Amino acid sequence: MQNNEELKLALLIASIAMLMMAFFVISFVMYYQKKRFEEEKKISDIEKNYNRLLLDTALNSEETERRRIAQDLHDDIGTMLSLTKLSLNQLSKMIGTTGDEKEDQIMKKSQSLVEETILHVRRITRDLVPTTLERFGLLEAIEEFIDKLEEDNNLVISFQANTEEFPRQGQKLELTLYRIMQELVNNAIKHASCSRIEISLESTEEMIGLRVTDNGVGFDPEKIKENNLAGLGLLGIESRLAIVNGTVQYEKPLNGGSSAFAQIPVMPIAENKPEPLHPFRRERVNI
Amino acid sequence: MLEIYISYFARQPLASIPVFLTLIPIVLIWKRKAYLDRTFQILAIYLVAKFAIDFIMFDWASQKKNTVVFYNLSVPVRYILTSWMFYNKLEIKRYKNWLLLSVPVFTSFSIWDILNTNPSLSDLHNHKMVLYSTTVESLLMLFWILLYFYNTIRTLKIPNLLTYPFFWVCSGLLLYYSSFLFIAPVLHYDSKWEQWLDMGFLSYVPYIFECVSIVLFSIGISQFPSPRYAK
Ligand SMILES: Nc1ncnc2c1ncn2[C@@H]1O[C@H](COP(=O)(O)OP(=O)(O)OP(=O)(O)O)[C@@H](O)[C@H]1O
Ligand SMILES: [Mg+2]
Repeated sequence: MQNNEELKLALLIASIAMLMMAFFVISFVMYYQKKRFEEEKKISDIEKNYNRLLLDTALNSEETERRRIAQDLHDDIGTMLSLTKLSLNQLSKMIGTTGDEKEDQIMKKSQSLVEETILHVRRITRDLVPTTLERFGLLEAIEEFIDKLEEDNNLVISFQANTEEFPRQGQKLELTLYRIMQELVNNAIKHASCSRIEISLESTEEMIGLRVTDNGVGFDPEKIKENNLAGLGLLGIESRLAIVNGTVQYEKPLNGGSSAFAQIPVMPIAENKPEPLHPFRRERVNI
Repeated sequence: MLEIYISYFARQPLASIPVFLTLIPIVLIWKRKAYLDRTFQILAIYLVAKFAIDFIMFDWASQKKNTVVFYNLSVPVRYILTSWMFYNKLEIKRYKNWLLLSVPVFTSFSIWDILNTNPSLSDLHNHKMVLYSTTVESLLMLFWILLYFYNTIRTLKIPNLLTYPFFWVCSGLLLYYSSFLFIAPVLHYDSKWEQWLDMGFLSYVPYIFECVSIVLFSIGISQFPSPRYAK
């Protein structure tokens, strides 16, 4: 009988030990799995941040480079053109005294050519760097952009914002929105063969939304991504948005055409000083 | 009929509860459509088979008949079905082959064990519980469960184990077989119809952990419908 009792005790202890081991195994698996996942997540976060930094740097240097080109155009060629204009004016005065009909005509022609070139250079520099954007903000810049487009296309472009006074945002945010708007409108003109484009800007406390709608042929962004048809435009929009945590959705309105809606969370305005012109900044990336 | 059942239930509550508790995961699998998952389809088959066998045992036990023959038969059936689940879940070909090999080997072993412990099969009244099979089964299953855990840790495919149904099933099986491992060989002596060895409370431990494992199965199944982690 005593043997029996001992056997029971031994069995009890062995079973308890086994169960404890089972519990231990289960908790260990759970703990280890969780820890590994956290580590993995940290690594992927670091990678994501790193990629974002790279993108940001690339875009920044692109903007800086544009700025440099615009500056060079303005300072070098612009100055030279002004000087040319001045000399031509002098020349025309001198020729004017002799009063030859034909010479006078050539003179006029060169003068107007130089004038036109000056205008072109100014337009190009302004296209390269959206000065209106920097000085007067998004609303003005978009309006200016539209005016220029409507001049030489028979397109109707409408623009509305949900607030009369659109508060100034950080420079990067404004530039991002502006460039996205530019690409979306350009796409609509290039691909949609539409007659109307509507741009609307909605701003709330936390979000700024930009919607560009056209009444053209419409497209399926999924298909375009799948078939690798996306050009630089759509990809560029996505990478610009990735930097500012924004999102973009493409919709198909019921009455045809296509509509893109980009949303960006409002960021606190960083120091508002303009980018240094040149030499362009290289950011060191540390991991 | 019902009276006999109720009186048996009152006499042996711990042995009877798991029989009916099995219905919960079966209903849950049906309600949550867990049977769409291949592994849980097998679990459903296993649970239904278990319920059928357990209920017949319950019926016979309430009529004071020896039910050990059903228990002995349920051992290979249980092993075939549970290991089949792991066959589905294990991903490495080599392990799968081992598991596949273990099924016929274990089945023949348990049949040999039944014949060995019961030289005269027709004498149902004195039918004895298998001596080795349950222990071997527990060892094998523990091995497969640990192997599965090891693989989950290594491959890192499941972001949250707590919402992963099969993890709960594994935990239930792990607890059940761990509690069973040492008690199983003694049950052979405990469950003899004559000259039995009284183990007292210990003989109820398997029933308790059967309940625990069934509850864990149910928790696992209630995680359905869960996102498929098919990365
Ligand atoms: N508004 C639109 N209407 C119809 N199709 C569009 C529209 N916007 C884009 N698409 C389609 O999506 C494709 C990808 O556009 P995306 O801007 O990425 O490239 P792209 O305009 O062809 O080239 P890039 O912008 O680099 O000069 C286009 O080729 C066009 O077929
Ligand atoms: Mg484009």
